Amino acid sequence: MSSLQGWQVDVLDVAQKCVYCGYCSLCPTYKELKWEVNHPRGILDQIKLYYSEEIKDKLRNDVSKQLFESVFLCTACRACEDICIVDLPLLKVWEQIRQEAFKRGRWNPKLLSLYNRVKDFFNIFGLPTEERVSWAALSGMNMSRRTQKKAPLAYFVGCQASYSGKMGSIAESVVKILRKAKLNFTILGTEERCCGSPIFLAGGFSVGKTFAKHNLDQFKKLGVKKVVTACAGCYRAFKIVYPRVLGEEWDIEVVHISELANELFEEKKLKVINPIKEKITFKDPCELVRHCGLSDAPREVIKNIPNVRYEELPSNREESLCCGGGGLLKLNDEELVGQVNSHLISEIQYSEANIVVNGCPTCLDTIQQGIKQREMDVEVIDIAELVSRMVEGKK
Amino acid sequence: MTLKNKVRTKFVRHLGKGFRDDETTIRIYSRDLADLPPITRLFYNNTADAVVLPSTTEEVKKLYELATENKVPVTPRSGGTAGFGGCVTYKRGIIVDVKGLESELLIEPFDQSVLVSPATVISELQRKLNLQGFSLCSYPSSFHSATIGGWIAHGGYGVGSAKYGGALDQILALDVVLPTGEIKKITEKEDLELFVGSNGTLGLITRIQLKIKFDIPLKQFGCTFDSPLQLAKGLKEISEIDPYSIWFFNPKHVEEINQSFGYSLPERYVIIVSKEISYEEEENEFNLSFNQTVRNAGGQILDRRYIINIWNIRFKTFAMLKEYKDYLTNEIILPIETSSKYLQKLSSKIDGQIHLEGEMIGKTHYSLLMFLYFEEKLGPFKKLRVNLDLYKNVLKGIKVKGYPYTTGLWFSGYYQAIFGKERYKKYKEFKKIVDPKGISNPGKVIPPRFKLFPVISLKTALKLASRFML
Repeated sequence: MSSLQGWQVDVLDVAQKCVYCGYCSLCPTYKELKWEVNHPRGILDQIKLYYSEEIKDKLRNDVSKQLFESVFLCTACRACEDICIVDLPLLKVWEQIRQEAFKRGRWNPKLLSLYNRVKDFFNIFGLPTEERVSWAALSGMNMSRRTQKKAPLAYFVGCQASYSGKMGSIAESVVKILRKAKLNFTILGTEERCCGSPIFLAGGFSVGKTFAKHNLDQFKKLGVKKVVTACAGCYRAFKIVYPRVLGEEWDIEVVHISELANELFEEKKLKVINPIKEKITFKDPCELVRHCGLSDAPREVIKNIPNVRYEELPSNREESLCCGGGGLLKLNDEELVGQVNSHLISEIQYSEANIVVNGCPTCLDTIQQGIKQREMDVEVIDIAELVSRMVEGKK
Repeated sequence: MTLKNKVRTKFVRHLGKGFRDDETTIRIYSRDLADLPPITRLFYNNTADAVVLPSTTEEVKKLYELATENKVPVTPRSGGTAGFGGCVTYKRGIIVDVKGLESELLIEPFDQSVLVSPATVISELQRKLNLQGFSLCSYPSSFHSATIGGWIAHGGYGVGSAKYGGALDQILALDVVLPTGEIKKITEKEDLELFVGSNGTLGLITRIQLKIKFDIPLKQFGCTFDSPLQLAKGLKEISEIDPYSIWFFNPKHVEEINQSFGYSLPERYVIIVSKEISYEEEENEFNLSFNQTVRNAGGQILDRRYIINIWNIRFKTFAMLKEYKDYLTNEIILPIETSSKYLQKLSSKIDGQIHLEGEMIGKTHYSLLMFLYFEEKLGPFKKLRVNLDLYKNVLKGIKVKGYPYTTGLWFSGYYQAIFGKERYKKYKEFKKIVDPKGISNPGKVIPPRFKLFPVISLKTALKLASRFML
């Protein structure tokens, strides 16, 4: 199992390697706030100051105040790391500085409250564990025979699809797809714990690791070889964070629902019954495209619709705009989320699409808010919901 | 100087949250691309008293009025991606970060022009133009981070300058706020040229109207030459066949490109030519003409398979720094005719470790970037010494009719060498009228007095230092 040392990077060394080219000025937070102290290269300069032995305590305090504020305004979209010309592991640096802020007792109360909710209730909402499968009851599905059953495939529902009323139909749609393809699958039910993504994003290595270990043990117990999820955050956690945290012990294949659906269409296990006529666009979630390099599968899935009216957003794939909802920014500055999101909403408007398809519950929620504010007649749905409509014939 | 409380209050009242003077912010704004060692603070006061982020032209106007009234130096800053000290304060005062200005972008397809705010990052502008089938005519190689305003203030050149010239050749109009607070629209060429390369010493650009062109695909062609003399001949003759861009490297830089990007280019002087090509016949025609020209100049044609996707690394020079701990750079403009010996000498400098990357900026001159890469983090004294060595090499270039890329702080005093005597005269007259108190970016363009020994100018001090400290 990997250690904390293996997980961490030498933040000062990374900061010193910055060549100040400024390519990371595409950071969505910096683009809104416009102060150099919120520019990734400016944050790296603050790190250099913070860890400098030559500065006085007064300046260190001043720097830490600004530094901790700046790192918590990051949406974790990874655009900075993607464009970084000298390949600096910037996201790891931001995570570690967030952890440093925790150690210094400098987290804001909302963040601390989320951290405690996840730690104590194993979900981001702080709701009872028994309610984790209430989505099934609400959608009239009987999941008892699928819960904690031995199967090669597990559907990891995630906190948002499990608990949030707004996301309720994502879980329902995934189950419909799996049933339609007659796959033998299981869900963890009340034994499912938050993937730990918010904890890791906040820089919590040790607590996050207990979540990773628990979920792995559950998968092992049920003989799971492959996990499917419709949440980009969970997908990133399984794909990138768990291997870092658990090392070789984590040997489970992970697929996003768009990848699985694409596979099922190719194998003719899914067929399109309802050819959707509305104009569709796809917003690449940062955690899928920039963190995990997944951008083809959702497009392949959409292509299965006969005579599909599909329009790419002007910024797509690796260049897609961030919705502003990631990186726990909602807990730190909701107004900034709206500002970042407004550029994405303008692109959606420009595309003239009637349906925005997405693969991340956080993006979905944020985009829905933006659409509502502009009173646009656009439907925002998850890729699982789209596939379910395609194969179920439900309009 | 430090802002007096009364003056500070005036600025705070005017800008509210757009005013910051906490030590962290000031420190973060105390540099540009060149992270010079603390010892250089003997030369200048690089920490401002405050940083401001105005959002409208009216705010800039009022800001200048306040600054003039209270004799507070104002240093405009945009992308901060150049290393000439143009956006770093010399006499403290206030840094105006133009990134705060309201973003604006209006494409006029019939006029083939675009109206933009100065803080627009050039790659973003290009992307938006490309969406509408247009393109910038020329742009700097720091494309992904430089702003259009900063590029103009530096009087920059770049990709496409071989065909379309530099920043000055792209501008149709500028809206500026003069240090007196007057808002002015500049459209006449002879007035525009005063602002291009003025490093914000004549006021702040708040809106720019630029020429644009249709977005025509670029195709690349390559050739090699054995010596700087042959290279010069090649550059001269290739310029005549009307390419879009002529980009070249010395053998040391080619070696680095091969290692960093997996190419197998011959380790000679390599030229990569880009041509706007709309259809196949045009490509074949240019290929023939290119091959003929290169052969006439004594060069060798590079099989196009060697340079597949080479344009993708056009904006990735810094990627070569991955394996290094430190780097230093400088830039000069040189005439083809008189610079081959200089190039030869420069290539053999520092045990042949110098990396050279050039770009033609017209038919007669090229800009030359010099890089030194280091496997260890440089100590302050070594960094200063090597910086001065590079500085000395730029000064040597002036002897072969070259000139610094821009004045900024480090080459203040070289405006005349860059733009000529006549323009310098006009500049000084205009500066006197619009900035009688000398508050707009002091220390830039006109050489300031040397901080430690005010009898001499900074220009003389640096010249002496580069000669005697090595």
